[in-house]
Amino acid sequence: MSLSASALAQELKTQALANAQTNGSAGDALAALEAANFPERKTEQWKYTSLQALADGHLNATADGELTQSLPALSDYVVTINNGQLVSHNLPDGVSLSHDGPAINGLQTPFAFYNSAVASQPVVLTVAANTRIEQPIHVQIQSASDAPAHCNPRLVVVLNQGAEAAVIEHYHAEGQALTNAVTALITADNAQLTHYRLQGEQASSLHIGTLIIDQQGVSKVDSYQLMTGNRLRRNDVRALVSKSGAELNMKGIFVVRDKSHVDNQLCVEHSVPNCESDQNFKGLAGESGKAVFNGRIHIHPGASGTNAELSNKNLLLNPGAEINTKPELEIYNDDVKCAHGTTVGQLDAMQQFYLQSRGIPAAEAKRMLSLGFVNELLMTLPHEKVAEWATPWLEAELAHTTPAGDRAA
Amino acid sequence: MLEIRDLHATVADKPILKGLNLTVNPGEVHAIMGPNGSGKSTLANVLAGRDNYAITGGEALFEGSSLADLEPEERAQAGLFLAFQYPVEIPGVSNMEFLKAALESVRGAQGKEEWDSVTLLRQARAACKQVNLDASFLKRGVNEGFSGGEKKRNEIMQMLLMEPKLALLDETDSGLDIDALQTVAKGVNSLRSPERGIVLVTHYQRLLDYIVPDFVHVLSNGQIIKSGGKELAHELEEKGYGWLTGEEESA
Repeated sequence: MSLSASALAQELKTQALANAQTNGSAGDALAALEAANFPERKTEQWKYTSLQALADGHLNATADGELTQSLPALSDYVVTINNGQLVSHNLPDGVSLSHDGPAINGLQTPFAFYNSAVASQPVVLTVAANTRIEQPIHVQIQSASDAPAHCNPRLVVVLNQGAEAAVIEHYHAEGQALTNAVTALITADNAQLTHYRLQGEQASSLHIGTLIIDQQGVSKVDSYQLMTGNRLRRNDVRALVSKSGAELNMKGIFVVRDKSHVDNQLCVEHSVPNCESDQNFKGLAGESGKAVFNGRIHIHPGASGTNAELSNKNLLLNPGAEINTKPELEIYNDDVKCAHGTTVGQLDAMQQFYLQSRGIPAAEAKRMLSLGFVNELLMTLPHEKVAEWATPWLEAELAHTTPAGDRAA
Repeated sequence: MLEIRDLHATVADKPILKGLNLTVNPGEVHAIMGPNGSGKSTLANVLAGRDNYAITGGEALFEGSSLADLEPEERAQAGLFLAFQYPVEIPGVSNMEFLKAALESVRGAQGKEEWDSVTLLRQARAACKQVNLDASFLKRGVNEGFSGGEKKRNEIMQMLLMEPKLALLDETDSGLDIDALQTVAKGVNSLRSPERGIVLVTHYQRLLDYIVPDFVHVLSNGQIIKSGGKELAHELEEKGYGWLTGEEESA
C-alpha cells in the first residue's frame, strides 16, 4: 500500500489512537497523543526519513513472534524484554525492578507519546543511593514478527544520589518487527552512569526510538550509542542537563550499508550554568545506505559558563551512499564555549596506497581503514565485554562484500 | 632483477621521467642522486604503483614482469618494498594489525611459511630492537604521532620483516639526526645479501658513508645523466650538481 505522506500521517495517528483506546489509555499520555501531529513530508525534523515503510501496517498488529536468535549475555545481570514484555530478570543487590516509575520528561515525538499511551509494562530499574554496581546491567530488548507488526518497550533507569552503575541497552529484532521504544535515564546528585545503546536489529526490521537523558542532579553520564542501519532507524535523543556541574558525554558510531537507513536526531538542552557536554559521532555509509545526523546544542538564557562540543565525522565508502549531517546551535548567552564540526569525506587515498604498498589487497585495505576510522571510538569503550562484542559486530558490517564494480573506486 | 628501459612517466599528467634507463642485479646497491625536482621520488613512487603516477612510455620490468600491469599490492607480493619519504599516519589501525595483514599477504604470495601470532610478535619485537624502536610502538596506530625519525625507523622495521627482494628507499635519510641515520643504515646493511637488490634515493651523500653503494647514478630532468662507482657521490658532495646539469644549484 502506498499513501501520500499526509494521508499516511493521518492513517498512523488513527491507528495509534485506536490502539490507545483498546488499551484503555487515559489522562496526559492520551491527551499528548491526541494533540500530536505525525510527520508529513514538510516536517523539518523528518525531512530525510520517510515513514512510507509503515504503510505496510506495522501499527495495526502487535509483534508476538518467536525469536530464532538470542543475544549473548554481556554480564551476569540480564533483563530480557521480548516484544515489549518483561520475560526475565536477574539483578544484583541494590537494583530494584518495578513497573511503576516517575513520569518521563522531555518527550517530543508522536511515536514517544504513543509509547507512553500504550506501554502497559514499563521496566523501571532503580539503583539505590550510594551504591556502586560492579557489573553492567544488560537489558536485552528483543522483537520478532514475520508480518508487519510493532511493540512498545519502555525502559526507565533511575540512579539515586551517589549511585554508580552501567547499563547496556541492547536491541535485537527479527523479521518485520517495528520496535517503538522509549528509554529514559534519570540521574540524581553525584550519580555516575555509563550507558550503552547497541542497535543491531536485522535489516528487515524497523526501529523508532526516543532516548531521554535527564540529569536532574550534579551527575556524570557517559553514553555510547552504536548502531547499524536497517529498513528504518530513527533515534531521537534528548539530553536535559539541568543542574549546574553536570557532565554529559555521548559518543556514537553508525554504519549503513546496502539500502539501510539511520536517522539520529540529538539535542542537548543546557538550561543551567556551568555544565559540560560533548557529542562525538562517527558515521560510515556504503552502497545505497543513507545516514542522517542532526546534532543540536541548545543553550538557554542564563546557562552561562556552558562548555558544549559536537563533532560528527563521516566516511562515504562509495558514490551511491548518502550522509546528511548538520550541527545546530541555538545559543542565548555570551559567556559560553561551544565548538562544533561536521565533515563528510572519503577514504584517504594515501593511507590506502600505503597499506597496498605493503601487500595488503585493496578491499582489505579499505576494510582496515574503515574499521580504523571507528576504532578510535571503540577503543574508548570502558567495559571489555561490550568492546569484545561490539568490535566484531561492526567489523563484520564493514567487511560487508563490496560489489565488483566498486572495487577499483 | 629490475630492468628499466627508456621509462617515461607523468605525475598528474605532467611529464617527469623522460627516458630513464637503469638495471639492478641481485646483490647490488644502487644510489640515485640528483637535485630537487629531478624525478628521484617520482621514480620510487612509479615503481611502487602510486595513483596518479603513470608510465607513459618504455617499461619497468621486475623479475621479468612489467610493473605497469601489477597493482601496488601485487608488486609488494612479488617482493618490492618502498620505504616512504613521508610515511603515512593511520590512526585506529595498530602497527601490529597492519604488520599481520601485510606479512600474511606477502608471505602467503611468496609461498613462505605462515607465522602464527606468537612468531609474528617475536619477529616484530626483534625488528623493533634492531632499529631502536620501543616495542610499545607496535601497539600504537601506524605512524600515529611518531616523530620524523621514528617514522623512518618504522619503515626500516617493516622492511626487515618483509624481507623484500628489492628495497627502494626514498630519502630515508632526510630529517634524521646522526644517531638515527646510523641506526637506519645498520638496519639496511643487515639486509644486504647476494639475492637482494637495494636502491637508495637520496639528495645527500651523507647516507652513503654508512651504506656504501656499488653504483651511483645522477638523475637530472628525468634522465640518468651520469653513472659511476661510490667515488661519484664524493665528487657530487664537493662540486654540487651544477657541473653535470649545467645549472646553478644551491644544495
